[in-house]
Amino acid sequence: MTVVLEARDIHKTYPLGKVEVSALRGVTIEVEQGEFVAILGPSGSGKSTLLHILGGLDRPDKGSIYIDGINLSTLNDAKLAEVRLHKIGFVFQFFNLLPRLTALRNVELPLTLADVSEKESVKKATEMLELVGLKDRMHHRPTELSGGEQQRVAVARALINDPKIVLADEPTGNLDTRTGWEIVSLMKRLSTEKNQTFVVVTHDQGVAENANRIIQLKDGVIQGVKKGSGGIRP
Amino acid sequence: MAMAWQSMKQRRFRTSLTTLGVVIGITAIIGLASLGEGFRVTISNQMEQGFELNVLTVMSGGLLTGVPSTFEDADVQNISRFDGVVLATPLIQKSFVKLFNDGKTATPLVTLGVNFTEFWTIYPDRLIFENGSLPQPIKNDTAVIGYNVQHPTEGEAFAYPSQNITIQMTLERAPLRIENLTFNVAGTLGKSGAAGFINFDDAAFIPIDTMRKLYQTNYSDMIFVRLADPSYSDSVAAKIQDRFGGAGEVRVLVPAAFMAQVETILNMVQIFLIAIASIALLVAGLGIMNIMTVSVMERTREIGILKAIGAKSRTVLTMFLAEAALIGLLGGVIGIPLGYGLAQVMGQFLFRFSAQITPRRSIITGTETQPITAVTPILLWQWAVGAIVFAIGVSIIFGWYPARKAAKLDPVEALRYE
Repeated sequence: MTVVLEARDIHKTYPLGKVEVSALRGVTIEVEQGEFVAILGPSGSGKSTLLHILGGLDRPDKGSIYIDGINLSTLNDAKLAEVRLHKIGFVFQFFNLLPRLTALRNVELPLTLADVSEKESVKKATEMLELVGLKDRMHHRPTELSGGEQQRVAVARALINDPKIVLADEPTGNLDTRTGWEIVSLMKRLSTEKNQTFVVVTHDQGVAENANRIIQLKDGVIQGVKKGSGGIRP
Repeated sequence: MAMAWQSMKQRRFRTSLTTLGVVIGITAIIGLASLGEGFRVTISNQMEQGFELNVLTVMSGGLLTGVPSTFEDADVQNISRFDGVVLATPLIQKSFVKLFNDGKTATPLVTLGVNFTEFWTIYPDRLIFENGSLPQPIKNDTAVIGYNVQHPTEGEAFAYPSQNITIQMTLERAPLRIENLTFNVAGTLGKSGAAGFINFDDAAFIPIDTMRKLYQTNYSDMIFVRLADPSYSDSVAAKIQDRFGGAGEVRVLVPAAFMAQVETILNMVQIFLIAIASIALLVAGLGIMNIMTVSVMERTREIGILKAIGAKSRTVLTMFLAEAALIGLLGGVIGIPLGYGLAQVMGQFLFRFSAQITPRRSIITGTETQPITAVTPILLWQWAVGAIVFAIGVSIIFGWYPARKAAKLDPVEALRYE
């Protein structure tokens, strides 16, 4: 099995007023190709910070991250942006779609940033929207879509550049239980069908149970790792 | 670029207002510039009509203060050999002359003794006959009469070609010595204006040799010099000054230099106008800065999203600068025709008031100048291009700060922004 994500001894502190708050205190994680990993923890456990650092949105105070063998700490901001563009897909709690763009354009955005031709990016984005079951809604703007539909668009956008890993930050946090399940099962399906690696941060035990592996995080430290009921991978 | 356009379409009203600022700036610049250019050309043309740029006038330094004839024929000969000189010809001017014809009296301000053939070569386009022509050959009693002398009042005529008239000259005043001579009128002139402080309309012309004989002199008062090209003006003027021992001794009127001075003044006026108009564009620039700062704040989250999914700072910077540049381009493209249109309207109406002023005589050239009632603005393509470049430049400069702010946003913080 190939390791696509490796984080070693990650430390991060935040200044909160005059006090330094330790968000992460030595976290080490390895994720293999095709794995569906959940990071489970209560709010304030540092799981969002960890996800940002894993995705190259933020830098750790100490420790190193390798994505697809690339050491992120050696990269400047521009190179880091390139890694985010080509190797990482993000799914956020609040969907974070561009409100002015249609679903199709939102999904196309990473391709546009990667200088893919208009014709090809439309084709790929259409296919991707079909894959998440939104082909008939692709010319709608986010405001015309339900929360679940918006999150599907976000998933499609995360996958459009064939990333090595998709990082999802509370992807069900802003959805009702049923729609949340739909999104989780969509990600599960994509994980299986496309052998796509997912790391999902959640505080929801039920969501986490779908993963191959559940990493429990509390107060910036990993408390334990257990297998989810998400099935045994072949 | 496409994203910038998208974003501008979304904020149509605000973008329109900002663009309007640029439009006003460019309109003002182009309007004033093209009006100024039209004005400059109109004035230059009018001035040039009163000037032969290739004719220098040489007079003794004290002519205006009454020091009489100082130039010898040798001087004239010498000047005519200078590089670039086509012809140099002497002139004598006398006052206290009266003309009589058949009971009518005319009083020219000056009577000029000239070499007719040469003098008409100096001013071929100016000394145009209303009646008659120069006789060939010139006789000793040939006379030519200027327009105002011929027509003391409108419609009245003093003499006709080939008529004999009596010219009464005051050769000396103390003791008084007057001589009446008969001259034959060769022709009368149309309105000719003035050169070298002599108004030809108020003059009568007789042969210089006749004049010299009467007044018993070998000198002349002025020398008229025709150049091959106005560009010889300075060098020939300098040589003439040299010959007579400096600027105090002789005065050389150089119309080209005068014209250049006028041009300089007109250019300065134009630059001044454009500079004032540019302030409007700078104000528009502040508007761009303002709208973009607000826009960056509003779109903080959006910028965070873009950066999260892999947009580089450069891309974000380019996006915002493209937006600013588009505003500038749009403002320029709209502003140029508007400015030109404004100049047309202003050119038509701004100078109307001066139409109420009657035509007046220019103190410099003596020609009757029609007051400027309308100016046709002139838009040079270089300005159109320059205005667009300027508009885009100002937009980018003022857009730089907010764009940079946007580019530098931290993605995590930007995503957290509500």
